Amino acid sequence: MDILLQVLIGGVLLGGLYALVAFGLSLIYGVVRIVNFAHGTLLAVSGVLASLAFASWGLHPLLIAALLAPLMFGFAYGYYHLLLKPLATRSHFEATVGTVLVTVGTLMMLSDVTAKLAGATQRNIPLRLEALEFGEIVVSTTQLLILAGIVALTVVMHLMLKHTWFGRAIRAVTQDATGAQICGVQSVRMKALTFAFGSATVAVAAVLYVLSFPVDPTMGFGLTVKAFTIIVVGGVGNLPGALLAGVFLGVAEGLTGLYWKPEWAPALSVIVMLVILVVWPKGVGVKT
Amino acid sequence: MSALIAKPAGGPGWVIGAAAVLALGVLPFVANPYLITFAFTVLVAYILGQSWDWVAGEMGYVNLGHYCFYGIGAYAFAIALVGDWPLVLSLGFALVITALAALVLSVPLFRLHGDYFAFATLALLPLMEVLAYNLTPITRGADGIVLPVKQVLQPAYLLALGTCVITFIVTLLINHARFGYALKSIRNDEQVAETVGVKIAPVKRRVLVLSAVFGAAAGALQAWQMSYIDPATVFGLNVALVPIAMVLFAGSGLRFGPLVGVLVLASMQQWLLVSVKGYQATLYGLTILLIGRFMPGGFLRARWVRSVPGLAALSREHHEYVGESAAREQAHKVELPLPKLQVDAAKPLIELQGVRMQFGGNVAVNDVSLKIRQGEIVGLIGPNGSGKTTLFNCISRVFPPTAGKVLFAGQDLAHLGRDGIARLGVGRTYQIPRPFSDLTVQENIAIPLMFAERPLSPRDAMREARAFVDYAELSHRLHERADALSVQEKKALEFARALACRPRLLLIDEVASGLTPAEVNRFVAHIRHVRDRYGITVIWVEHIFSALEQVVDRVIALEQGSLIADGPLATVVKDERVLRTYLGSAALSPPSPVSVPAFVQGVT
Repeated sequence: MDILLQVLIGGVLLGGLYALVAFGLSLIYGVVRIVNFAHGTLLAVSGVLASLAFASWGLHPLLIAALLAPLMFGFAYGYYHLLLKPLATRSHFEATVGTVLVTVGTLMMLSDVTAKLAGATQRNIPLRLEALEFGEIVVSTTQLLILAGIVALTVVMHLMLKHTWFGRAIRAVTQDATGAQICGVQSVRMKALTFAFGSATVAVAAVLYVLSFPVDPTMGFGLTVKAFTIIVVGGVGNLPGALLAGVFLGVAEGLTGLYWKPEWAPALSVIVMLVILVVWPKGVGVKT
Repeated sequence: MSALIAKPAGGPGWVIGAAAVLALGVLPFVANPYLITFAFTVLVAYILGQSWDWVAGEMGYVNLGHYCFYGIGAYAFAIALVGDWPLVLSLGFALVITALAALVLSVPLFRLHGDYFAFATLALLPLMEVLAYNLTPITRGADGIVLPVKQVLQPAYLLALGTCVITFIVTLLINHARFGYALKSIRNDEQVAETVGVKIAPVKRRVLVLSAVFGAAAGALQAWQMSYIDPATVFGLNVALVPIAMVLFAGSGLRFGPLVGVLVLASMQQWLLVSVKGYQATLYGLTILLIGRFMPGGFLRARWVRSVPGLAALSREHHEYVGESAAREQAHKVELPLPKLQVDAAKPLIELQGVRMQFGGNVAVNDVSLKIRQGEIVGLIGPNGSGKTTLFNCISRVFPPTAGKVLFAGQDLAHLGRDGIARLGVGRTYQIPRPFSDLTVQENIAIPLMFAERPLSPRDAMREARAFVDYAELSHRLHERADALSVQEKKALEFARALACRPRLLLIDEVASGLTPAEVNRFVAHIRHVRDRYGITVIWVEHIFSALEQVVDRVIALEQGSLIADGPLATVVKDERVLRTYLGSAALSPPSPVSVPAFVQGVT
């Protein structure tokens, strides 16, 4: 029973982090209409960078997150303008394959460079905090911290989408890009900003991730697949949907490891995605 | 445009090709093992890249998981060979297993389109890798499979060369076959392909299986030559996209694109392997990124390439040319190769019984019942959004109606697909023209002829298409790509393509809007002519009443999905509900002199 509870808690946390990654990708897909194959790799990169910053300078994880997020924002903003925006003017087929090649090329480069930085081992931030005890149940403070982080980020993003100009513009472009443009939303600027914002979300998620789970430079693409599965299940631009789907996936992976074999867990998301796509080829819920 | 499409070269190409194959055939007996291995790698990459391009370049489906088939083939071959199967049997086993895998995968994959298809296929790679790592009793997991070591470089090379030649020949054959035209029509517009009679599902399945079999051959040969495989080498993401990048680099969908791309990039890759240590994945990634950023259409499509005589031959698109472009023909003198239908004006050709089309809570067509007799020309009018086009879509089954029946010559259409309805004799045009953009005018019209009830061979279809091109007064544009035409020409092309479906019923959707009066009159003449001469029944959606007036037997008016009037045009335009719909109730109230709007004037 104890192990099951631990697995469930771990699954919920992992799933919440998946959901954050997925939600960044989902915003990008909704507004920019591209699948960024390197999206999950950004988490691996940020995670490794965060653990290096912690190991060499002993910075507090919160400070690391505060530094990494704007860094990733700037990187992604420039990346979009330099590499992705020019492809939009090409024919549909060329734009599609061009985007795939650019983002997959990025994925390969980032993984390789990060592997050189990280060395051969998996990395994390070994934060030592007192555990909390509620009667019989022992909860690690780190896990609580991560949970708080996930909840805080979700709430902030939700409020931003509902109540700020930027959030409304994102929702407008997701639903009807031309219509939004006619109403004065500058679509190119929105695309660049959304791309950067979605990527910055990943940087924050990465810091939370390394606090409890190990990262390695090659895990990125697996994470992108999971994020895409979550989008397919939860709907493009749907934050609660992403959270639910993410937690479902995280827990399911944990249970696969517990009752069967952990090495099969990575296959789960692909299979779930294929099954969902077969049953609902247009996605389950599309809502913003 | 026509300058960009190189004419067939004829003889010298074959001589050069044969000489190259011969030289490559001699290579393993004279060169050192290093060179042979390099050439072998190039051959395998070509098989992979070209077989990928049948699905991507020809059909427009970006299958990023093509490498899965390579991996499955490699594993099946290795397992069979280690199990002491003879070579030929092992090879056959690999191909059959992969074909089966592709057949199974085609079911979920082809429910998807665009980005979703690309993503799902790419996600297959990590799935396969997990399977290969974890199904240890079969695949030996991370240890990989070691094949019995023998000197196989020469025979493997020769087999690869043979497979390459076959691959190239298959490419040529595909492009001269009806199958190839089916692929091209799918690439351009799947829905239109169906409504001109192409049965797309089996075509998609077959091309995936075909491409998988060649991918498997490449995998098996590579496994044989390397005598060792493990999950990362055959399913790894960083190797999987290299052949695809090679094809795109030179030009996907071009006859020599995959060949040139593989030659150039594989040589570069080899050079990098030798001269750069470390950061190789970064360099691969950078190369792939730069190709994607700067030349996703391929450098062979660049203008400077087309202007260099030697290179221009390499940038050939796959197009067929039958006959020469001619001057504009006099349309009414052209005899179309259409049957002259027996018209029995007493019998209905099409009958709608309570047809209803609902999108969520929005009722686009509301219980419409009507009969149209053989040989009638019926105008379908109604304000924008009244359900005219949706009614067409219910008949040609772009959407299956929510309720109600559509009977065509007494036959219920409920059990037919879009292609079946086309072959039964329903041709249609679209409000916004949807020609097969990257095909020539002649090819556009030849496609319905190839997929008709009595299908023609591509060559005959191309010949017969000439009459339709002449009829549509597009003779001078015969070999142009459809996307180079003006809007009026595209409308004429669509009309001709609909006629090439050998229809008994022709559905015409707003063909006259945006045309000059002279052009409208030409269409009116065409519509009358095809009815009078060939007995084709016509339903014509149109807003220009003066055009309808010249030719229709009666009109049907729709408002918000419901049928509100049916009768001769002159009566219908005076109908109270029609007037209210078009002009508002204010126009009806006073008996005083009502200023009749211009568009009704011609009629009253």
